[in-house]
Amino acid sequence: MSVAAIAFYCFALTTVAGGLFTVVSRNPVHSVLWLILSFLSSAGLFVLLGAEFIAMLLMIVYVGAVAVLFLFVVMMLDIDFAELKAEMAKYMPLALLIGVIILLQLAMAYGSWAYSDGFETRLAAPQGDMQNTAALGLLVYDKYIMLFQLAGLILLVAMIGAIVLTLRHRQNIKRQDVLAQLYRDPAKAMELKDIKPGQGL
Amino acid sequence: MISSDIQIVLPEIILALFAMGALLGAVYTGKDKTASFLTWLTAGVFLVLGAWIGLNGQGTQEAFGGMFIDDSFSRFAKVVILFSAAAVLIVSIDYMAKRDLLRFEYPILVALATVGMMVMVSAGDLMALYMGLELQSLALYVVASLRRDSAKSTEAGLKYFVLGALSSGLLLYGASLTYGFAGTTLFSGILTAVGHDVSIGLLFGMVFMMSGFAFKVSAAPFHMWTPDVYEGSPTPVTAFFATAPKVAAMGLFARVVYDAFGGVVGDWQQIVMMLSILSMFVGAIAAIGQTNIKRLMAYSSIAHMGFALMGLAAGTAMGVEAMLVYMSIYVTMNIGTFAFILSMEKDGKPVTEIKALSMYSKKEPLKALALLVLMFSLAGVPPMLGFMGKLAVFRAALEADLVWLAVAAGIASVIGAFYYLRVVYYMYFGEDSDALDGTMSPVAWGMLVASAVIMLVGIVNLFGIVPMAAEAAQALVN
Amino acid sequence: MIGIEHYLTVAAALFVIGIFGLFLNRKNIIILLMSIELILLSVNINFVAFSSFLNDLVGQVFTLFVLTVAAAEAAIGLAILVCFFRNRGTIDVEDVNVMKG
Repeated sequence: MSVAAIAFYCFALTTVAGGLFTVVSRNPVHSVLWLILSFLSSAGLFVLLGAEFIAMLLMIVYVGAVAVLFLFVVMMLDIDFAELKAEMAKYMPLALLIGVIILLQLAMAYGSWAYSDGFETRLAAPQGDMQNTAALGLLVYDKYIMLFQLAGLILLVAMIGAIVLTLRHRQNIKRQDVLAQLYRDPAKAMELKDIKPGQGL
Repeated sequence: MISSDIQIVLPEIILALFAMGALLGAVYTGKDKTASFLTWLTAGVFLVLGAWIGLNGQGTQEAFGGMFIDDSFSRFAKVVILFSAAAVLIVSIDYMAKRDLLRFEYPILVALATVGMMVMVSAGDLMALYMGLELQSLALYVVASLRRDSAKSTEAGLKYFVLGALSSGLLLYGASLTYGFAGTTLFSGILTAVGHDVSIGLLFGMVFMMSGFAFKVSAAPFHMWTPDVYEGSPTPVTAFFATAPKVAAMGLFARVVYDAFGGVVGDWQQIVMMLSILSMFVGAIAAIGQTNIKRLMAYSSIAHMGFALMGLAAGTAMGVEAMLVYMSIYVTMNIGTFAFILSMEKDGKPVTEIKALSMYSKKEPLKALALLVLMFSLAGVPPMLGFMGKLAVFRAALEADLVWLAVAAGIASVIGAFYYLRVVYYMYFGEDSDALDGTMSPVAWGMLVASAVIMLVGIVNLFGIVPMAAEAAQALVN
Repeated sequence: MIGIEHYLTVAAALFVIGIFGLFLNRKNIIILLMSIELILLSVNINFVAFSSFLNDLVGQVFTLFVLTVAAAEAAIGLAILVCFFRNRGTIDVEDVNVMKG
């Protein structure tokens, strides 16, 4: 077995195991950690496939942002997870049945993958000698510029959505007003009183 | 080259720029105080763009290397989407203002969702399809939970989100298999790659993609989110869900099965037929026990999607034409009905119980009559426009030798007629009650009456949409 | 030799685990969201594998966009979840069932 094959089997195994433990683990914090393992090992698979940029992106976006967002929410919400888990056994047989059936069906389909005839002529962006990242950049900013802009709109919607749903302007809270602070001067803020000795105010 | 591409996607660009400009404008000025004005303005922009696309577009043009297709099919769908979205925005202003729901983000999110829908119906590539679909869906998840202090509304948003994300996942999985088989994501490339024979891998891809679409159009057996989401969302949002996104999803469905899988009609036809029959029966039977009018409308929309899919199942240009006609009529009926539902209130609180309509005809004879016309039309009773839509899809199915499908549809529409007639029964023969006391805003009243009048008058020549739909269908099926 | 089928099998297994997780954790929305992330990951593996074996970059471009959208989706999903939690004090959806269906 070549090194590449060994690497593939290691990464594949940890990806699948990570995925499996994500859904069955009892503690959601553990789930997130398993999810991170799954992402990291699939980044390894991507490197084996020659897609370095996507692998890096998976680390930065998924492990760095999405998984941390999940962790943040898990810890922020005070949830009694033990109670939720008690229900899990109830759905186990059904879920297992569905999972096994779909897996068998997919296995049937993938006995050997058939490409269409003459697919070489249809490739929109054949891989040249260029570096992966540079080649992707040329495609994304040129040929697929419309999709790139749409992705921007999608992120805008996500931003608006998150703000609409969660931002609350609480009353009765003191907020910092920078301008007011800047324009404050001693004449308005202080009053000097001349107090004679022994008299008090 | 890029300038001619931009020329073709100009309506989408204008709408996106408008949404961004409106967002900036509202944030830096009155925030929610501008909401009412902004909603009117957005509706105005929709109407102008719709008229522009409808009057201006000609022929078939492709932009960005075939990724975006502007043909009469996409223009027909876009005009329906824009007009219905505008109508829903206009009727919802009054309701939302009364309930302190009118936030300036609402019209902006609707505008962005509409950009997504316009991209969906014009998509010529799996990637454009996916991006359009997600732009629409993400905006819709947010508006479903717009009433964020209500458990019902946020639960609706959550359910919609989980099932919507699942359906996107299925769709993508299918898309990846299709890409792997064809070596391209362009529909035109997939069409030549598929030829007339489906390999098993591709078959899986197609089935996964179609189940994703079935989720989006809420066809049975992927309909389970619909009643909950319709009931839980704020009513104007429900009205929106029932109209424009349905047209967009249906347009996308038709676009993919014809543009990408047009060579293997026989293979997807069976799936669409199954979806169609199940939806018609689930919609008709499950609606019978409903006491909430929003849930009733949810099941009604499931059943209507079944009929529209019947047009698609025919697998002919005539079927697509019938589907387009059916969808336009369906949208018109729904706008009128929801204009009425929005006005159902008691002591300023919205009422959605069907029983509340008891003896409504005594109090408001004209509105009751208008609703009667709409209900008859939804049921497909002959003199109304709804019947013409059903007739068109029946004819398309019969022409394609799907006699048993037409027979099943006939049975389903008879069962379905029962619950529409029940609403009418409550209005005219129910027990005396004064469960409703709200007044209707003039705009909503206008929409209700206009939609009812259209149902009666349109019977003459359907306002000439049939030749337009025929042209659109020709552009898609060839 | 590692062929395309090997990668497709990994992706299929991950996809099935995602679906399995959806059914298994019907009450725990956070795990549901993670299951959806797994499904998207399996799709990405499919795309990158096809891209590599077809010698075509479009699959990787598609993955790029899927990643973007998935991040946006996670943000919105968690925002809705936080809202729901504020109203209910639980993330258990089935329990609520104000809306029977």
